[in-house]
Amino acid sequence: MRQGSRNNLARGLAALAALAQACSTLPHPATVAVKPESWWAFQAVQPQAIPAIKNTAWARNEIDHFIAAELESHGMAPAPEATRRQWLRRVSYDLTGLPPTLEAMDAFLADATADAFERVADRLLASPQYGQRWARHWLDAVRYADYHDADAKARNPVCEPVEAWRYRDWVVESLNRDMPYHQFITHQIAGDLLDAPDGKAPYAGGLVATTFLINGVWDRGDADKEKMVSDMVDDQVDTVGKVFLALTLGCARCHDHKYDPISQADYYALAGMFYSTRMLKELGTKGGEITLQRRSLVPDAIVEQRIGLVTQLAEANTQLAALDKAQPKPAPDDPARAKLAARRDQLQKDLPPEPPLALAVSEGGVPGGLFPGIQDVPIHLRGSYTRLGRVVPRALPVFFKGTNQAPIRSGSGRRELAEWIASPTHPLTARVAVNRVWQGHFGAGLVATPNNFGINSRAPSHPALLDWLAARFVEEGWSVKALHRRIVLSASYRQSANAPDAQAKDPDNRWLARFPARRLDAEAIRDTMLQVSGRLDTQFGGPADSELSGTRRSLYLQTARWDRGSFSTLFDAANPDACAEARPVSTVAPQALFLLNSSFMRDQSGHLAARLMREVPDTAPDSESARVRLAYRLLFHRAPGADELAIATRLVRGAQGPAAWADLAHVLLCSNELIYGE
Amino acid sequence: MENDLGRAAALSRRQMLSRSGCGFGLLALSELLASETVRRTTHPFALQSPHHAPKAKRVIFLYMPGGPSHVDLFDPKPRLKVDNGKPLPFDKPKLERTKTGNLMASPWAFARKGRSGVEVSELLPYLSSHMDDLCVIRSMLADNINHSGAALQLCTGEQAFSRPSLGSWLTYGLGTENQNLPAFVVVSPAAVFQGAQLWASSFLPSAYQGTLVRDLKNPIANLGDGATDTVRQRAKLDALRSLNELHQRTRAPDSQLDARIASFELAFRMQREAPEAFDLARETAATHRLYGTDQPATELFGRQCLLARRLVERGVRFVHLFDAPANNAWDHHNGIHDALPKRCRAVDQPIAALLTDLKSRGLLEDTLVLWGGEFGRTPTAEGKNGREHHPFGFSMWMAGGGIRGGMAFGATDEFGWHATQDIVHIHDLHATMLHLMGLDHEKLTFPHAGRDFRLTDVSGRVVKQILA
Repeated sequence: MRQGSRNNLARGLAALAALAQACSTLPHPATVAVKPESWWAFQAVQPQAIPAIKNTAWARNEIDHFIAAELESHGMAPAPEATRRQWLRRVSYDLTGLPPTLEAMDAFLADATADAFERVADRLLASPQYGQRWARHWLDAVRYADYHDADAKARNPVCEPVEAWRYRDWVVESLNRDMPYHQFITHQIAGDLLDAPDGKAPYAGGLVATTFLINGVWDRGDADKEKMVSDMVDDQVDTVGKVFLALTLGCARCHDHKYDPISQADYYALAGMFYSTRMLKELGTKGGEITLQRRSLVPDAIVEQRIGLVTQLAEANTQLAALDKAQPKPAPDDPARAKLAARRDQLQKDLPPEPPLALAVSEGGVPGGLFPGIQDVPIHLRGSYTRLGRVVPRALPVFFKGTNQAPIRSGSGRRELAEWIASPTHPLTARVAVNRVWQGHFGAGLVATPNNFGINSRAPSHPALLDWLAARFVEEGWSVKALHRRIVLSASYRQSANAPDAQAKDPDNRWLARFPARRLDAEAIRDTMLQVSGRLDTQFGGPADSELSGTRRSLYLQTARWDRGSFSTLFDAANPDACAEARPVSTVAPQALFLLNSSFMRDQSGHLAARLMREVPDTAPDSESARVRLAYRLLFHRAPGADELAIATRLVRGAQGPAAWADLAHVLLCSNELIYGE
Repeated sequence: MENDLGRAAALSRRQMLSRSGCGFGLLALSELLASETVRRTTHPFALQSPHHAPKAKRVIFLYMPGGPSHVDLFDPKPRLKVDNGKPLPFDKPKLERTKTGNLMASPWAFARKGRSGVEVSELLPYLSSHMDDLCVIRSMLADNINHSGAALQLCTGEQAFSRPSLGSWLTYGLGTENQNLPAFVVVSPAAVFQGAQLWASSFLPSAYQGTLVRDLKNPIANLGDGATDTVRQRAKLDALRSLNELHQRTRAPDSQLDARIASFELAFRMQREAPEAFDLARETAATHRLYGTDQPATELFGRQCLLARRLVERGVRFVHLFDAPANNAWDHHNGIHDALPKRCRAVDQPIAALLTDLKSRGLLEDTLVLWGGEFGRTPTAEGKNGREHHPFGFSMWMAGGGIRGGMAFGATDEFGWHATQDIVHIHDLHATMLHLMGLDHEKLTFPHAGRDFRLTDVSGRVVKQILA
C-alpha cells in the first residue's frame, strides 16, 4: 500500500470516528435516516402524565415535575432559589422589558402574603408594557421592519412599508388583550376574510394583521417583476411555515424538501394560495418600483364622501383661478368671488382627514402578473417562473392532510390554510408557540431551533414537557398569558442564575439546573437607562421614531432594512431580513465605545445625575453616600456594599459638582450588573 | 478535561481574590496557575502559542461577494471558444439554481504573465504583473449554490447553521499582536447580504467576532471627540472595572462577563490608537496614487486595501475586505460584459498596489492574502449576457505567507465546469490557511453541544503542493 493511500485511509477512519463521536451525542441528518411518520414533531401532541419525582418539595407546579425528572435522571439538582429581589427584576424584565420601579420592589419585598408572587405575575401580565415587550419577540420572528430606507426624506412612500407601524401596534394590543393564539394566527394569514367582532365593515384589525404578509424584504422591487412576485410568494410561504409551524417550507421551492415530507408539489399547492392573493397594487414597470397595496380602514361610504368633497374643492379652486385670471385685479368685494371663496373655505373646513390606510392583502393575484386572479399555479421547475410544469391544485401538504382533500373553491385558500394551522389538533402549531414563549423566558427553547422542528432539527430537551405545555395551551383557550404565568411561577424559573456546580456539569444549561444569566437585549438596555433617570415615555403606538435621543420605548425606534448600523444592531437586535430564531449575544469593543463616548450615554448619565442631586440635595444629611445609595437602589434595587460605596465615593471626589455625579452615573450605567439585569 | 481544570482554576483564582480582598494586585500570580481556557476567557486576545511554526502571521481576505467568473478571469477555456453557443455536452449536476443556456466563451483574452507564465485575463492588467507571487487555485469546490449558504461556507465552513468564522477561529487560536486594535476587522462599505453571520464568533466566546467597519471616513463609531479627559476617563474605567470585578466575584465564571470587562479596556485603548491606524491621510500622495484612491473608479476599494495594509502592519490578525459598493457586486446574472470589467477595474489596481506595498515593506512574506468569492459562475450563459452561480469548480488565489507563488494549481474540465484535478474543497482551503498560520485544523477545537467542533468539521486536508 502506498504511503498516500494509507494516509487517506487513516484520515478517512479518523473522519469516520469523529463523525461517529459526533453522532453519539447529536443526531446527524446525513447519517440518521428518519422516517417522517416516526418523527416526533409530526405526530399528534401526546397526552403526558406528570412525572413522579423524588424532589417533590421543590416543585411549585407541573413544569417543575418535568424539569426535576430530567435533572434527577442526569444526576443533577436544581440551583437554590433566587432572592425575591432577583426574581422580581427577572420577571419584570421578562414580562415588560423594564426593571421594577422602586415602589414595586418595596411593596413586593414587604409582601408576606402567600400569593405575593402570583399577584406580581398577574400585575405584570395586565400591564400595557407587557405587550410592548412581547411584541418585540414576535416582530423578530416575522421579519418586521418599519422602513427600507432609514432616511425619511429619501423614502418612496409607494414601495416603503410606511404604514407597517399599524401592524406593530396591532401585535401589541392583541398580546395585551391576550387574543387567543389561534385567532392571532388566523388574523395574520387571513384577517381580510374575517368578520369584525362588532359586525362592522371593514374590520380594521383583520386588515392590519395581514401586513404580516406584505412587510417583507423586497425593497423597491426587482427589475424582473415576475421573478419578484415569485420571490414574494416564496417569502410568504417560507415565513408562514417557519413562524407558525417551524417548517422550512421554503426549501421545497426548487425541489422536494431534502429532509421533511414537503414535496415541491406541496409547495406550489400552498404557493397558489398566495399567488391568488393581492399584495401589490400594481407590478410597476420593468425596472420601476412596486406599489404595495393599501386598504382603507374606514367604510367605503366615508372614503367616497371624502372623494366627493375633494372633487368639489378642486372645482371651486379651478373656478376661483379662472375668475382671477379673467379679472386680474378683482375688486375685493366682488360678491360672486366672495361667495366662491367662502364655499371653497367651507369645503376645506369640512374635509375630513385622509382615511387611515393599512398595508393589507385582498383576494385575487397581482393584476398584470402571470397569475392575476384566483387560480392554481404550475410547479416552477427549479423554482423559476420561466419553466413551468404541471398545475397543482391549491391544497394543504399531503403528508399532513392526505390526498383526499376537499378542493378549495371559494377563494385564495388562505382561509383554509389558516384554519388548518390554527387547528387544536395540528401537531406543530401549539408546540411551536409554546416553544417560542419558553425561549422568551429561558433564553433557549425546549427545541433549540424555534423556526425548524423538521427532521434536520435537534430533538427537544424535554419532549414530554413540550407536549404537556402544548396540550394545556390549547385546553386553556390558546391563552399566551396563562402560559407565561405558569412558567414564571414555576420553581424552575425561580432558580438562581448563580450556580457554579450546575454550570460546570451542564455548560449549555440544557437541563435547566439553573436560570441562565442573560444580557439584556438592546431595547431593554436603552429602556432601562431611560427609566432609571425617570424619563421613559411609555406612550403607545404610531409611526416609528428615528432618533435614539428620544425618550419613547425602544420598540418605537425605527428598524430600517438598509441601515443595520444602528444602536439596536450594535446590541444584537434581530436582522429584519429574515425570520429571526433567536438573538445572538455579542460582546465587542464597539459596544463599549458606544457606552463610553456616545452622546446618548452622556445625556443619560447627566439625567441620572440630575435625578440623584434633585432627590438628595446637597443639604441632606450625609448627602454623598445617600446619593450613592439612591443610585444603587434605582439601578440595582439594593444597597451598595462597603467596597462599592468606597469605589463610588472615591470616583465622585475626583471631580466637582454635577460632573462628578454624572461620572458615577455613567460608570453604573455601564456596569455588568445593570447590563446583565441581575 | 481541560475545561474542568480551567473551571476549577477559575474558581480558586476568584476565591483567592476575594479572600485577599485586594483585587488585581494578585492577579499576575494567580494567572500563573490559570489554565489555557481561563486565560482565553479572561484575556481573549493574549498571544497564544501556535501548534507549529507559522509561515504567516496575518491574513487579508479580499472577498468578492456574489461570485466572480472564473472562466473570465483565471481559468482560460479555449474549448468554450470552439463550442461557443453549443450545449454543454454532458448533464449538468442535479444541483442547479436556474436553468442556464448554452456555453458562452469568454469575450476576454488571456495571456501568460511573469516568469512563471501563469495565465490571467486582460481584465486584470495590474494584477498580471504579480502572477509570480500568486498561486491560482483553479480547482476550488464548494457545496452551496446560493449566496447565503455558499458565503457562510466560505466564511465559516458550514452552509446552514451558525458557526464561528475563519477570522474568529484564527483570533481564538492565536490571539493578536496588537491589543489596542480589534484583532479581526471586517470592512464592508455596503450592508452584507448575510450580515454578521459571516464574521460571527457563534459558539466561540463572543469577543472573537469581527469588528465591522462600514464607513471608512468614520471607521469606528464613538471613538470620542478627542476632547475627553483621559485621566478622568481612566479613573472611571478603573472604578467600572473594580465594580465589575466585585460583581463577578459573587458569580460563577462567565466568559461573557470577562469579555465585557475586556471590551472596555480594548475600547479605551482603541480610542487612542484607532484614529491613527485608520487615518489614511497619513499616507503619502504617492501611496494614494499607487492604490488609486485618487481615481473615482478605484477610490473605494483602494481605500479598503490601503486600510488593510495599515491594519496588518499594526498587528491586526485578520482583515476581511468586502468589495461591496453595493450588495453582491460580483453577482453577474446579466450584463456581465459591462459589469465584470467595471468590477475588475475597481479592484485590480488596488489589489496590485496592496501586493506591491506589502512586498516593499517586507510584510508579504508573512501575510497571507486570499482572493475570491463564494463560488464561480457557469460557463454556460444565463440569458444572453450573464452567468449563474457555480460552486462545482472555480478559482481563488493566494499569495504571500508560505504560499508557493507563480503557479496555477488544480484544474477544471475543458469547459470549466467541474473541478477535476487536485480538487480543493473549501474545507481544504481552510485547513491550509490554518496550517500556514501555525495551527492544525484537527487540533484547533472548541467544545460545544456535546462535542468538539472544528472549522473544518470532519473534513479538510492541507494542500501541501501549494506551500512554499
